Amino acid sequence: MDASRREFAKLVTASGIALSLSRLAFANEPGFAARETLPGRQRWNPAAAGEGRIDGVAKVTGAKLYASDFRAADMPGWPKHTAHAMLIRTANATHIYEGIDLAPLSGALKPSVFVTATDLARIGARVPSFYSGDLFCPVGKTPLYLGQPAALLIYESFDAFDQARLALRNEALLKFGLETGPVIKRDYGAFRFTRVAGATPDAPDVCSPVKDGWVSPGFFQNGERPIWARLPEPTGAAYVKAADYGEQIRAELDANAPSLLVLDRDFETQSIDPMFLEPECGLAWYDADRKNLELVLGVQSPYDSATSIATLLGNARASFKPAHIHAHFAYMGGGFGGRDHTPFPLYVALAAMFLPGRPVRLAHDRYQQFQAGIKRHAFKIHTRIGVDRATGKISAFAADHELDGGGLANFSASVAAVSANAAIGIYDVPKVDVTTVALHSRGVTAGSMRGYGTLQTMTALEVLIDEAASTLAIDPIEFRRRNALKTGGRTMAGNTYDVVVRTPEILDRLENHSIWRQRVEERAHGRRAGSVVGTGVACVTKDYGSGADASLSSVEIDPEGRISIHCDHVEMGNGIGTALANRVAAHLGAVADEVAVAEVDRYAVLGLVTSGDPHTMDQATQDAAQRDPRWVPAISAPTSSSIGAHVGTHSASEAARVIFRFGLWPAALELWGLAPTDPRVATLDAARWEQGRLVMSDLRPLPLSEIAARAHARKGVTAAMAHSFSRWSWSKATFAMGGQSWTADIDALAVRKSSGKFVRLDRIDVKFPPTVFNRIGTSYTSLCGALVRVEIARATGALRIAKAYTVLECGRALTPEIVLGQAQGGFAMGVGYALLESLPLYEDGPGNGQWNLGQYLIARGSDLPLQGLEIEVLPPLPNDPPKGMAEVVMIPIVPALLNAIFDATGRRFHALPVTQQMLKGALT
Amino acid sequence: MTTVSMKINGRAYGPVTVRDELTMNDFLRERLGLTGTKFGCGAGQCLSCAVIVDDPDGTSHTSPTCIVPAARFNGKSIRTVEGHATNGELTALQRSFIDHFAFQCGYCTAGFLNEGQVLLERLAKTPVARADLEKTIADALDGHLCRCTGYFRYHEAVRDVILADPGRYLT
Amino acid sequence: MKFAVLAGVVGLTTCAMWDSRSAPLATPESFAGIGDAATRSAALFTELGKVLTNPRCVNCHPAGDRPHQGELGRIHQPPVERGPDGRGLTAMRCPICHQDANFDPGRVPGHHEWRLAPREMAWEGKTLGEICAQIKDRARNGDRSLEALARHIGGDTLVGWAWSPGFGRQPAPGTQNEAGALVEAWINTGAVCPK
Repeated sequence: MDASRREFAKLVTASGIALSLSRLAFANEPGFAARETLPGRQRWNPAAAGEGRIDGVAKVTGAKLYASDFRAADMPGWPKHTAHAMLIRTANATHIYEGIDLAPLSGALKPSVFVTATDLARIGARVPSFYSGDLFCPVGKTPLYLGQPAALLIYESFDAFDQARLALRNEALLKFGLETGPVIKRDYGAFRFTRVAGATPDAPDVCSPVKDGWVSPGFFQNGERPIWARLPEPTGAAYVKAADYGEQIRAELDANAPSLLVLDRDFETQSIDPMFLEPECGLAWYDADRKNLELVLGVQSPYDSATSIATLLGNARASFKPAHIHAHFAYMGGGFGGRDHTPFPLYVALAAMFLPGRPVRLAHDRYQQFQAGIKRHAFKIHTRIGVDRATGKISAFAADHELDGGGLANFSASVAAVSANAAIGIYDVPKVDVTTVALHSRGVTAGSMRGYGTLQTMTALEVLIDEAASTLAIDPIEFRRRNALKTGGRTMAGNTYDVVVRTPEILDRLENHSIWRQRVEERAHGRRAGSVVGTGVACVTKDYGSGADASLSSVEIDPEGRISIHCDHVEMGNGIGTALANRVAAHLGAVADEVAVAEVDRYAVLGLVTSGDPHTMDQATQDAAQRDPRWVPAISAPTSSSIGAHVGTHSASEAARVIFRFGLWPAALELWGLAPTDPRVATLDAARWEQGRLVMSDLRPLPLSEIAARAHARKGVTAAMAHSFSRWSWSKATFAMGGQSWTADIDALAVRKSSGKFVRLDRIDVKFPPTVFNRIGTSYTSLCGALVRVEIARATGALRIAKAYTVLECGRALTPEIVLGQAQGGFAMGVGYALLESLPLYEDGPGNGQWNLGQYLIARGSDLPLQGLEIEVLPPLPNDPPKGMAEVVMIPIVPALLNAIFDATGRRFHALPVTQQMLKGALT
Repeated sequence: MTTVSMKINGRAYGPVTVRDELTMNDFLRERLGLTGTKFGCGAGQCLSCAVIVDDPDGTSHTSPTCIVPAARFNGKSIRTVEGHATNGELTALQRSFIDHFAFQCGYCTAGFLNEGQVLLERLAKTPVARADLEKTIADALDGHLCRCTGYFRYHEAVRDVILADPGRYLT
Repeated sequence: MKFAVLAGVVGLTTCAMWDSRSAPLATPESFAGIGDAATRSAALFTELGKVLTNPRCVNCHPAGDRPHQGELGRIHQPPVERGPDGRGLTAMRCPICHQDANFDPGRVPGHHEWRLAPREMAWEGKTLGEICAQIKDRARNGDRSLEALARHIGGDTLVGWAWSPGFGRQPAPGTQNEAGALVEAWINTGAVCPK
């Protein structure tokens, strides 16, 4: 999955580029790192009293925070002047590219530097395998996709750049010849997930992905599509076995048994843009004298960006091969998945390398962001579901998914697998057969986006479930309750969830809500003349985590009790900084004064090494690798898959626990004057923080500052640095600490005593999650249900959401206000996806470079029930960990809207979006 | 080329020559380094680039900067997100945005802050009835796009500043 | 005109997002062959209809209170409203973005009188016959005589913007003079409306 990481291991030996993503020390004016460390010691911290986010003041005062805010002059130690680069992209992917004609760019409009595929070949640039495909379309080839770059132009002055970009709107620089049609390539990934449950709930599965492995079909010769039937040639016994079971399931559905209701439906979803508000951009400077490449970037996957740039240049000829790469990662103006593993940083690096000595800025405008930014996959979904008429229970489910992956592979194969594993949503179905294939096309590349394919498959599912329930005249919530997977039940991969499945509670809340209870009267009476009213429900479950997640953190406390946190996860609006501060405060008694995020390289003392692909390695390889006490399956992971709370804050939480146990607690015992033999010494779990004081019954409450001072004075542990890894379960390791052993859900640890230096501790023992867990679709999941009431004007088809209710569970919410905010934002994005947003896939779509927000409509305030959305978060269960929730909250909104539209109009829509025109058509 | 002078957050800039094609957004961000004013769409459709223009008659309005030439701002007095707080003291609206967790990524915040501030100042001169308040806020903010929050908390944050001082903003 | 040129080079039509050239408009003389004056008059108005129903005109003569934009006549973004004077509500006034002249770098059209046509002059969704009846009706044409109407269409500079709409917009057919000539010829033939 993460090829660039694999290459990195080779790279440090092969290329000798030293990667550094470290803070730079600057005098006088605030350097990048200081600007990005919030809120800063001397500043008001809204998070300290729960009054706001740790980045609150910076964001309401317009502080330089985002990658797009930085120019060379803002970077101490850099040359002051910024040059500007632009990418020329193709709007043609069906004809042979014959080259670029720069004649229209004369005089001041002539670029200082001009880079094409030929130049990349000349310098020996190497495309990281994750981004495989020509970075620039070579002359003589048909472009691989719409929006593929053909050239990079660099201007030394902003004015020349600005004039050139205006002039270029009127010119066709790119020349094309013979029509070839689009480039045909094999699919990006195809899988078949087939599960047949045992005869009883306790019996082992007859067949399942966990038990029998994931299988992929064979291919027609020279064909780009898989064949799903049994292979024409005997090349895969595992596939044949799954396919046999799958075909049996389909045969049962085809049999027309009178006892079975079978619905056979198609559903189509559209391509959309994440439309984060800050277009992608970056700033880079190659100091040729020191062979030092510095970058400022805003991405969800900093580790990938840095290592991918190192791969790109690692084999280049001497003058294009930096000795050091220093990458600085900034706050992001939104991400939603679209900034996870984007190729954009590669072009930023190239711009700097081709104009050495001069800082260069590369920034998309919105047209370019539509043309080149990662998109959500369009799906074609064919589903058959069989429901026993007597019991109302789903007996079999078969589906075929086809994803349009666009021009580059990116995460398409992964999205295909994840979305297929979500195909049966919250339900317990004994026989499931799902095929999925992600196809290459000439469209703009699709990749990660909030929901990651499950939005598409669960929307299709929840609309189908609504239809099944109404066909059988069973209440839709009762139908869901009857079929819901219970705690301990098996997913369609064949594993059980690690977390409590709280579907019954969610369904109860939905059923008891007034929106649901009053649906019949509301539908009958309506509210206004000339409109129809309907109510819809949906309930979904969404995994969090990617199956190979990691975080790195250090936590420090000074003698005054002030806390600093550093973390490799990034801030894109999700409130990771505030969540880190709150999670650490639970252990250390105070909210941090300083939080620095997106720091990937502050943890050199851990000396971590990695090898292999954590998603695909076998057990023997992992066993051999882990003999190196510094080896971990993955060093740093993107901030994605809703892992901020669960994984992103985990290492900081574990580091804080170490500080408490080996620094603050012994200091407190000393302050209380408790002898080592006192039985209370062992009762640290009974101690609790209250308003900045450590409280133990019958003992004097101790202010944090007093404990911290003592911990420093007695040379206790005052800082800790930890790494954690999760493959649907945490790594667990044991360390020797001052004669005692410490076992925790981490796999690397360093500590600092008093104000000394960090010292790495060798782990005595480690247990990494077994590699067989790679077959698990997921083991972590959270739930969300939604109700919406819509009013649709008969004459115009205008839809108004009168009221809505979202109920979710996410374990322990680290920052409840941010959880609510995510749920509200997810609602808005769901409304946009269901009713407004749509991008044509090919020539008429964003790849033509002509799209902006006049054509592409996202939800505005006036599209939403600003006073009518109620959100409820279930209280956490005892010992609930923080769970991911940023994706799940968007998903049920979409099918709930479609189900409400059906309730109002009697028409089931099987394609998105459902626009006002379509509704008007349905009502007249 | 046009020679322009203007007042930004109370400070005089210029005279300086600008190309007639230069947008006000690029003037602020590329020439002056004032990047608190964002660039979102470049087409006047998201309004994350909006600043406050203070007219000589004492009224104020917001204006996008991405589709208006810098030359058009000659002689004008504007306020940007960097100019709301004075000596580190946040305005009531800035405080309210923080209290309500009104933003997430924060990229649209400058535009909402400017629009909300203009609304507050307008209501202080021409108050509205309590019953019209929600619609008044919705109308004022509807031009601004936000992708993270769903707008709910921006509206609550503006409303709560008004409700905290009803004698000033409401009839 | 990047895409029009591209289309010429490679023979693609789907890429042509807009064209900076006007479609042609027939001259009044070319209708001389129609003997019947009333029929000729209606035909002249039908030709003029190519201008009136062009997005450059209809976008600001909408049926409701919201202008449209672009070649496809989508609802204007951001969602501005007519307001009491046809120049927007308090928070979003037309002239804030639409300045005295087009600003091509931002692809924004401009004119010092930029505003919506009054509600009673809505053309959106109407047949040419309905528009014709409306345009002659002083209660629904801004109290203009036919002569004033000819001056308005043939000489008003805001109307004239439709023929120089700036980057990214296709101009209305013909020229303003040609449109004015059609109006005069239509009036001179009895100002008959097409069915």
